[in-house]
Amino acid sequence: MKQGGVHILFLIRQLMRSSNQALVFILCVILSIGSITAFSGFSQNVNRVLLKDARKIHAADIIIRSASEISSGLSRAINRLVLDGRVEKTRYYRFYSVVRTSEEDKSVLSDVKIVEKGYPFYGEVVLKSGRLFHDVLIPGSVVVAQSLLDRLDAKIGDSLKVGFTTLTIQDVVVSEPDRPVELFSIGPRIFVADGDREALGLIKKGSRIRYMTLLKVLHTEKVEEKTNEIADGLIKTQDPGIESVDTFQTARSRIKRFLDNFLFFLKLVGFFILMIAGFGIQGTLTAFLNEKKNTIAIFKTVGATNRYITIHFMLIVFILGMIGIILGFFTGFLMQHGLAMMLDTFLPENLAISLSWAGILEGVFLGLCVISLFAFIPMYRIKDTKPIMILRKEKTKPPQKWPLYLSGVLSLAFFSGLVFWHMKDFRLGIYFIAEISGLILVSFLFATLLLFILKRLHIRSLPLRLAVKSMFRPNSATRPIIITLTASLCVIFTIFLIEENLDAAFIESYPEDAPNMFFVNIQKNQVEGFSKTLDRKVSFYPVVRARVASINGKIIDVQKERKQKRDNFGRMFNLTYREDLLETEKLIEGKSLFRSDWEDIQVSILDMVLDMRKMSVGDYIEFKIQGVPLKARISSIRAQKRETLSPFFYFVFQNKALKEAPQTIFTAIKAEPGQIASIQNQVVAKFPNISVIDVSQTAKVFSKMMKQLSKVVRFFSILSIAAGILILVSTIFATRVERIIEAVYYKILGAGKKFVFMVFALENLLIGLLSGLLALIMAQVTSYLITRFGFELSYQPFLLSCFFMILITLMTVVIIGVIASRSILNKKPITFLKEQPDV
Amino acid sequence: MAILEAKHISKTYTLGNRELKVLDGLSLSVENGEFLVITGSSGSGKTTLLTLLSGLDHPTTGNVILDSQDITHATEEELAPLRNRYIGFVFQSFHLVPSMTALENIMFPAELLGNPDAAEHARELLKSVQLEQRADNLPSQLSGGEKQRVALCRAMINRPKLLFADEPTGNLDSENGKAILSQLIDLKSRQGATLILVTHNPDISRAADRVLTINDGQWAA
Repeated sequence: MKQGGVHILFLIRQLMRSSNQALVFILCVILSIGSITAFSGFSQNVNRVLLKDARKIHAADIIIRSASEISSGLSRAINRLVLDGRVEKTRYYRFYSVVRTSEEDKSVLSDVKIVEKGYPFYGEVVLKSGRLFHDVLIPGSVVVAQSLLDRLDAKIGDSLKVGFTTLTIQDVVVSEPDRPVELFSIGPRIFVADGDREALGLIKKGSRIRYMTLLKVLHTEKVEEKTNEIADGLIKTQDPGIESVDTFQTARSRIKRFLDNFLFFLKLVGFFILMIAGFGIQGTLTAFLNEKKNTIAIFKTVGATNRYITIHFMLIVFILGMIGIILGFFTGFLMQHGLAMMLDTFLPENLAISLSWAGILEGVFLGLCVISLFAFIPMYRIKDTKPIMILRKEKTKPPQKWPLYLSGVLSLAFFSGLVFWHMKDFRLGIYFIAEISGLILVSFLFATLLLFILKRLHIRSLPLRLAVKSMFRPNSATRPIIITLTASLCVIFTIFLIEENLDAAFIESYPEDAPNMFFVNIQKNQVEGFSKTLDRKVSFYPVVRARVASINGKIIDVQKERKQKRDNFGRMFNLTYREDLLETEKLIEGKSLFRSDWEDIQVSILDMVLDMRKMSVGDYIEFKIQGVPLKARISSIRAQKRETLSPFFYFVFQNKALKEAPQTIFTAIKAEPGQIASIQNQVVAKFPNISVIDVSQTAKVFSKMMKQLSKVVRFFSILSIAAGILILVSTIFATRVERIIEAVYYKILGAGKKFVFMVFALENLLIGLLSGLLALIMAQVTSYLITRFGFELSYQPFLLSCFFMILITLMTVVIIGVIASRSILNKKPITFLKEQPDV
Repeated sequence: MAILEAKHISKTYTLGNRELKVLDGLSLSVENGEFLVITGSSGSGKTTLLTLLSGLDHPTTGNVILDSQDITHATEEELAPLRNRYIGFVFQSFHLVPSMTALENIMFPAELLGNPDAAEHARELLKSVQLEQRADNLPSQLSGGEKQRVALCRAMINRPKLLFADEPTGNLDSENGKAILSQLIDLKSRQGATLILVTHNPDISRAADRVLTINDGQWAA
């Protein structure tokens, strides 16, 4: 028998009649789709802008980076291209240096950029006066950021000592094309003309200078194709250990790296919210169908088949789901704008938020998959509703387990696939999935245990006893609510505790004995004079800049290494040399720092190097020091005894190995805060090439940035709590009749409205308290482990802050629970009894 | 010819550790067009018997044959079309769908059958029970008697061969009860249906073709 088509009116009636549940279901879908499209879409938009404006952001078509003058082979190749009229070339040099007023009474660490004519090829350096950049920046002049003038109390026309020369401040830079590419600059910008480069006397072998060569491709047709062709040709001549050739499309700017990592983390939060909201979808749908049980039973009594009923409810789910998906897109779009506002310091100026068709299709597909996965179990259970239940509410046999297992396996496969697809890093994906699964499993176990104990407690207080009984009423979903809230709160509490501990360790209570002034770029012949100037005993650390070229003969693929999210061999390292262990170090492999029975050049490595690649004593590492290879054998592996801000080096050589290598000297001291400025002035006046870093000041700058970032993370973590709250609300709606019956019976038997309110409020209070406490315990353990063993810092539990976090959780759950129940509280017994003659 | 047969049916419920035998080896044969009343005291098993005879539940032992079809072990999918086409139910508690109007409640089984004239037939039935002006009211807006008349119409819309009524006047006052019974019998006669009615009301029993009494799960002597 064919059952007559789709009953449109039935669909509409069911939707109208259960508008509360429908609304909660839609909100869950909005939450899941909104968060994942926000993060995924934002990431795509940022990457699109960075790519689209990459020429302007990098100020060139081809960008060549090096830590020293480029190799002769590459240089020849570039010059040939210039002579052939295929490219135009310009260069700039970037480094940090302390600049000071002509009176030498004030100084500031600055971000110096020495530029040749022609910079920038794309975009412009905008000056406050409105004049053209290269008209103003002539030898003898500087153009500075406003913050430099503010910090030195200087003005245009004043003299500024930069390195070994004095220059005149001619203008203020308002914007430059490659900021925020040059993000995380710890000092204000100074532009210096290339003509003053020699006079500055700061660019020496061993100094930490970034040498940048920019090329502009002069072809007028198929420019991108020609750019790639030229770049590929140059890559063949580059020395990969020292210099890198990128086009504007492939160049990984610092901001892109930072944003990649940050948005990657936000995507993880998005996946977590997607999953939690998925449980919300399942919970609300189960609650919705529970409400409809009587209706379903009646339909079956008059002959409707399971198929007929299931199809209609599937259509309802589809309609609600599509509403949720569409609104989710809209919400995700708004959230992207919110993200752009919160992260404005870090983003390109012309970031435009838009929704692409690919993004929309992906979101729809994702939304339908999530809804289907989480709707499967409740929809499947429709067949368990038998017509007989309208006459008799007997205990039906337990439902089959296989749909639950199948649903679990499919959900796990879906989320795993999603994580791997977005992360593109199998190992990290596995870690993430394992951590989330662990979080939910531990929440489940503890929630089950606590509820088991609670159910068996003998409680004297009547309202409290009734509240506990209410938690175990049929269809109450107390455990899923507690698990969801616990998991969500755990994430937020953990982020908070780790952030507070990092703040306490580095920012607020800067370690007493830690150095707070670092001096870099000290030349070998300046050591004695420097010590005299400081007038104190200091330890000097020689620093030789090098790359790791190969390990045990296996060449390091620099490009591949740089793609990794953790520390890797794609960067430059600071080598040093000495004969002894520091008192802050201990050996974990090898009997001594170096072996007397080995002829090879030896190197002792820090245990952190093992996180990048497994190595052991006896292995060989080849370094490249300004292009010159140096092969060394691992003689020992060190570890730090305790957390310290004292200098530490990944690679330590014997004196004889590196003594004659191009190097600078580094040292650090602990100075009284009031003396820092005068020490800086004294040192730089005598030794203009030495960069002085006030670490506590720098730490404050980073702290401010971290706080801005963590606000974003916390805001989106709160969305996961919203999913838990939605489940709570849907359960209240689902158990509405049972709650009304309870309230009516209490009133009939003589209880007042206050008593009824207290029972409901206590029930929500217990749910909030259990969730909050469980989450806090788990967060404390997790934060402790991460802080102690991950960051190797001492740990503080911040109990007072935790107390307030629990209090806020409790108030939120109670208030929301009571608001959702207020119509039940106001129900008169007689009204109810008239409506429900069956009861 | 028997339209309904029950052969030695028993029904036992398990409640915790206890087993409760509600019906014990009952047999029954109902003729086509017959009006049968099953009566008995509260808890005697009459409603249970009705649920077994109508296919709402399965007997623990024995067989139920409905219009030559053994429905004893029929699945829900097999029973659904039977309920839709051949059986009508009238319950003590009406069991109307709260979100459907009176007219929609009546139409629903006919729509399931794919009847294009469902609305028209429903209106006719409403008219026959003097409720046409209440067609657009929800169950919550109807009195008990009105709800039961709507339930009656719903049971009759597909012209079922069998009508099962479980205490149809149980929640009504005597005047409404009489009216319902009268309309039930009238509709039954007009459509030539077989009516099996469970009640403990002796007045209703007097109108029946046959009365059977259950006592402790068995036919009373």
